[in-house]
Amino acid sequence: MARLEILDPTVEARKQPLTYVPRPDSLKGKRIGLVENTKYNSDRLLLKIGEILKEEYGAAETRMWRKHNAGVPAHAEILEEAKRGVDVVVAGIGD
Amino acid sequence: MTTELSSARYAVDDLAQAMDLCFEKGWTDGLPVVPPTEARVRAMLEAAELAPDKEVAFITNRQVAVTAEKIAVNAVMAGCKPEYLPVVVAAVEGLGDPRWGYHGPATSTGGAAVLVIVNGPLSRSLDFNSGDNLFGPGWRANATVGRAVRLVMRNVIGTLPGALDRGTLGHPGKYSYVIAENEADSPWTPLHVERGFRPEQSAVTVMAAESPHQFYNQLSSTAAGILTTLCDDMRISGNVMGQPNYVVVIAGEHMKTIAADGWSKADIRKFVFEHTQNSAAHLKRTGRMPGAVKPEDETALRPVVASPEDILVVAAGGRAGSFSAYIPGWASRRTSEAVTKLIHERRS
Repeated sequence: MARLEILDPTVEARKQPLTYVPRPDSLKGKRIGLVENTKYNSDRLLLKIGEILKEEYGAAETRMWRKHNAGVPAHAEILEEAKRGVDVVVAGIGD
Repeated sequence: MTTELSSARYAVDDLAQAMDLCFEKGWTDGLPVVPPTEARVRAMLEAAELAPDKEVAFITNRQVAVTAEKIAVNAVMAGCKPEYLPVVVAAVEGLGDPRWGYHGPATSTGGAAVLVIVNGPLSRSLDFNSGDNLFGPGWRANATVGRAVRLVMRNVIGTLPGALDRGTLGHPGKYSYVIAENEADSPWTPLHVERGFRPEQSAVTVMAAESPHQFYNQLSSTAAGILTTLCDDMRISGNVMGQPNYVVVIAGEHMKTIAADGWSKADIRKFVFEHTQNSAAHLKRTGRMPGAVKPEDETALRPVVASPEDILVVAAGGRAGSFSAYIPGWASRRTSEAVTKLIHERRS
């Protein structure tokens, strides 16, 4: 018989329901949202990606939002406007 | 009040096997831990009169509730005495405060540790070190409370080095980084009182922090002289583009000299704020600020923090020696700020 019992110091993270939006078959005519995280050059990187999506993949337009800082999720205003105004979102970091 | 402990249990033959199991499970910081038996965990919770299922913090980005039971298990492992638990709990409350912003400082390549500053009567009755060898080893309260906080981050919140803790370098304060203010000898208002608490209350301040940077001035007999040396060192430190906070730790000899000139903590903050500013030109020439140097950059000054209030002045350290220290906070404004929480000695 065991002489000692110890307790587990860990927990499992709470399960979050995640549903993925179906990926579009094509970006042709799609409105692209760009979410930059405030790090140096993240805006330039995303604008370049936006240009490529328009020129090479036929996206209609791009629009960029800036997070409050790199350590937080996109804030409610970004999420609401993105829901209404764009079809696809690209998020990225600089540095 | 729920008294059942919900943690999974592991049976082992003896203490040595229990310690080995903790290593094998990845539950330690690399050092051996005290095996968390039910009796030890219960003693912790009873000392603080905390129900095991009491939620102390909720870490949003991880969707993890940090309960008193899990804090107690990790505090046992860290080697805490039961009476230290309220201090650990207050520090964890601080980490869960949105102003501290857990995700950034816990995961960042910047490698911040959690600096815990203990103030008030409990800092003395629990024997937290505020004197000689301030940041060094030798005091159980300092060593184990900070270790418990880090074990909670690792085991409960999942901040594992190399996985969700991506610090490029980190620093030794990630093992434990706890100091107390030397309120008995200090001529100044204690930190927690400056931050809204009463002197008879006890509180912890948590700040995402780099390592301490020591500076030396054995020559000056004036406050301005000593702080000029500090500012010359501190001006180029941390993220010089603008940080949330700094801590300035003034040790015994410097404390006496500065106080003899009649300077308050507010005077120290004002002087340090004004004398640690860098020109945009210098920041650009030294690769800290993007862009080409323009003529106006030579006179455009940037402070290291947004306001003098963001510099936390703490009287602590040994009585002998012409040394003091400053500690840069982590990252930039709006990302993580120092938070002060009341220590509840008893609660249910």
